[in-house]
Amino acid sequence: MMFQNLGFMLNHTWLIPAIPFFSFLLVGLFIRPRSPKLAGIVATVAVFAAACCAYVLAWEYFHLFPAGTERHALVPWNFEWLRYQEHLAVRAGVLVDPISVLLMVVVTTVSALVHLYSIGYMHGDQGYGRYFTWLNLFTFSMLGLVVAPNILQMYVCWELVGASSFLLIGFYYEKPSAVAASKKAFIVTRFADLGFLLGVIILGYYGYHFFGELSPALAQQMGQYTAGGVVDPFDFAYLTHPEVLSKFVGLGTGFLGVSLLTMAMVLVYMGAAGKSAMFPLHIWLPDAMEGPTPVSALIHAATMVVAGVYLVARTFLVFATSGDALMVVAYIGAFTSLFAAVIGCTQDDIKRVLAFSTLSQLGYMMFALGVATMDHPLGYTASMFHLFTHAFFKALLFLGAGALIHAVHSNEIWDMGGLARKMPITHATVLIATLAIAGIWPLAGFFSKDEILVSALENQHYGIFGLGLLVAGITAFYMFRIYFVSFWGKARSKHAEHAHEAPLVMLIPLMILAVLSVVAGWVPMGEFVSLGGASHGAAEGAHHGINWAVAGPSLFVAAIGISVAWFLYGSGHEERSKSVASSLGGVYTTIKRKFYFDELYLFITHKVVFRFVAAPIAWFDRHVVDGGVNLSGWITRTSSTALSRLQTGQVQTYGAWFVGGSIGALLVLWHLMF
Amino acid sequence: MTTTVLTALFYVLAACSVLLALAVVTTRRILRAAVYLMGVLLMSAGFFLLLGAEFLAGVQILVYVGGIVVLLVFAVMLTRSVELLEDEPSIGRKLLGYVVAAGFLIMNVALLATTEFRVLREGTLPAGNTAALGRKLLDYGPQGYALPFEVLSILLLTAMIGGIVIARKTGPVATGKLEQPGQGGSDRFGAQTTTIQGS
Amino acid sequence: MSFSEIFVQAPSAVHWLILSSLLFSIGIYGILTRRNAVGILMSTELLLNSASLNFVVFNKFVAPSSVDGQVMSLFVIAVAAAEVVVGMAIFVALFKCRKTVDVTQMNLMRN
Repeated sequence: MMFQNLGFMLNHTWLIPAIPFFSFLLVGLFIRPRSPKLAGIVATVAVFAAACCAYVLAWEYFHLFPAGTERHALVPWNFEWLRYQEHLAVRAGVLVDPISVLLMVVVTTVSALVHLYSIGYMHGDQGYGRYFTWLNLFTFSMLGLVVAPNILQMYVCWELVGASSFLLIGFYYEKPSAVAASKKAFIVTRFADLGFLLGVIILGYYGYHFFGELSPALAQQMGQYTAGGVVDPFDFAYLTHPEVLSKFVGLGTGFLGVSLLTMAMVLVYMGAAGKSAMFPLHIWLPDAMEGPTPVSALIHAATMVVAGVYLVARTFLVFATSGDALMVVAYIGAFTSLFAAVIGCTQDDIKRVLAFSTLSQLGYMMFALGVATMDHPLGYTASMFHLFTHAFFKALLFLGAGALIHAVHSNEIWDMGGLARKMPITHATVLIATLAIAGIWPLAGFFSKDEILVSALENQHYGIFGLGLLVAGITAFYMFRIYFVSFWGKARSKHAEHAHEAPLVMLIPLMILAVLSVVAGWVPMGEFVSLGGASHGAAEGAHHGINWAVAGPSLFVAAIGISVAWFLYGSGHEERSKSVASSLGGVYTTIKRKFYFDELYLFITHKVVFRFVAAPIAWFDRHVVDGGVNLSGWITRTSSTALSRLQTGQVQTYGAWFVGGSIGALLVLWHLMF
Repeated sequence: MTTTVLTALFYVLAACSVLLALAVVTTRRILRAAVYLMGVLLMSAGFFLLLGAEFLAGVQILVYVGGIVVLLVFAVMLTRSVELLEDEPSIGRKLLGYVVAAGFLIMNVALLATTEFRVLREGTLPAGNTAALGRKLLDYGPQGYALPFEVLSILLLTAMIGGIVIARKTGPVATGKLEQPGQGGSDRFGAQTTTIQGS
Repeated sequence: MSFSEIFVQAPSAVHWLILSSLLFSIGIYGILTRRNAVGILMSTELLLNSASLNFVVFNKFVAPSSVDGQVMSLFVIAVAAAEVVVGMAIFVALFKCRKTVDVTQMNLMRN
């Protein structure tokens, strides 16, 4: 189907990723070596321009398809990228549909504010220009991922965001811990991406084979969609088409009694879990806080880590068709949300607490997707809604934490205290964000969390519902724990005593994000984002009637969490918290050491993998492979030394060889002829 | 009668030719070698006459004896080889030469002994074949040699220009510096020398 | 075949060719043993001369109806002239540069 009257921005959607990309090149190659200051300004302006484009795009898109109509996915611009065979090609381009528009708005907004904030936060840093270069690169990669119309382009951008995340975590490369953290993040996500790649390959392989079996009419329609009878087996529109999906189901069971579709989707989910730091692969995210704080806000809270959620949402129909894969998503998400929340209660590093809180909230989004079904897709909307609100208040929390760290020169919450009076604006904004994440009415977190819980209840996932409720309480507890410890009471260190408010360029993003954290919840998300267009969304949208049967208990547990936090940390009786910790004893230590997961991984990698896999391979490499290479080198050198003796430099000797050779050749010829 | 005379003439000329050729390659005085070479070439002119190629004999004497040998004598003079008695080649080199040359000769003779030469195109040489030769050279039909003839003239021109260019390219000034480093000929070498002397 | 028989025989193609290969072999020996570069050039002239002789011999004994062999022989003479011109120029330049034309001392390409 073609829409002739597309607006300017819809026709030029490619501008949104292109602006940060060209800014990245410009800043990285030409401006940074000359003037780091200008580099920061140019990078920031570019991302603000991209943000404006994204707003115009959102306005145009939702006017083209007003509420109540079916919203089509548009591909306003694409080009042939890879051609394998005559009828098999991959086309890169931009895809515009409700969730990509939503993500574009979120990414560009948070990125622009983080750029602005960084001008103040990174002021005077040695790698100032480098920082903005990588930040631009990240913004481009993330937008490229969001607009990807096929899973292969998404995979490429997926790796690009991984690379820029690696570069930014290791930004302070003089610090060994930062280097270790960047390596850890890269290796863990890389390992997960291996699964993603395998999943992509399986999907693409069968997708291509099904093309021939599809009914001719559909094949033609598909061909039209994928431009001129050429199969793009990686295209999302092709992969999520009901007929293709039914073909996949028809494949039946493959390996170990698991259907091929489920296997492929679990592998794809492995990639998503790596990027979104779901349970077994979560270990990299807390360490990633070694990067500069604005980076944590942008990459490791608001945007990159939700790429996994976005991927699951993008391929939701495939997951839902598999069913089992979706259950994996739901249970891993739910478990992660509880697991991370419990660890979050015991950490003392403010950024680590926020990192665990991010894990927990990502788990929320994942299980919201997991509990959604084709018939009751409220969870899909809820997940996207929570992604939207979470991006704002979590970015705000990180940026606020950055302001505190900037003032106190320490990440430890026990070095802070009494900062409410010294940093009033930071205090106010962080309080808003803390209330928002705790899910207090009328702030953003309340609405999205409520919607997630409703969707879990509606689809009879009572266990997950209860768990979600519990996590909501724990979230309120640990968030208010760090709030009370750092803002209330009296200063616990010299720096905290002399703390002062951050510069204006850092406060402006805080205030904008605070406003967004308040109003984001009032966006009627169900009208914008819903599965299968308008049929369900408008009817089931949460805002037309908040389900107080769910909202009441969730508010209640949040209040309990806050009260407990106040009782232990806010009332000035700090010995209470210590006595609770000591009475819990070993349990407390276990949680504080993050259930010894890092140690477990270290044991597996060092003791098992290194000793029994890597060491023999290293021996083989050193003695057999290197030995072979050295041997060939030795042979070459020796024989060439011997041969070089023939090279006397005497032209007459050469002449003798020549004539002798001719005589020999003649003799051979003679022998052959007679 | 005439046949007998001609046969005798052939053997005499051949013997002289071979002896003179041996003298060319063995004499230690290079100018004498040039004279012997002239003798060999004159003998060849005689061979051409015996073979009925009168014009070729004339050309041989004109170009080879009159031109090429003179040029070689020039080369001898310009490279000051006249004054020097050329060193004997080393025994190994000589032995190598003997073996290779003898090998070639044996090989050739064996080949000639086993090959039978048949007359491919019957007929006799035109009596005065100078005219035939001239027609051949200027004939641009399929049997003619007009194009190679012209190409040859270009080759000679090229050789002449190339000879002039090569002979004047390397001046003694440019090479003098390279041969006498350490005498402060150039800055680079001069600087090097001073540091060596200083240390 | 007695000694006198060989000498009374009118020279056939084989006789001529053996003469020419004798000259050629002597030329090869000169090329391989001469120290002076001009001497080598002279030996080359011997080679060319014997080749040119071969052309005329074949013309007379194999295809006597035309003069193609003689034309080739003419060409050989012309090429020899060109070769000597260039060779002489090279030796003069070489002599200016190295003060000698002894080929055994020209071993820059050694090893």
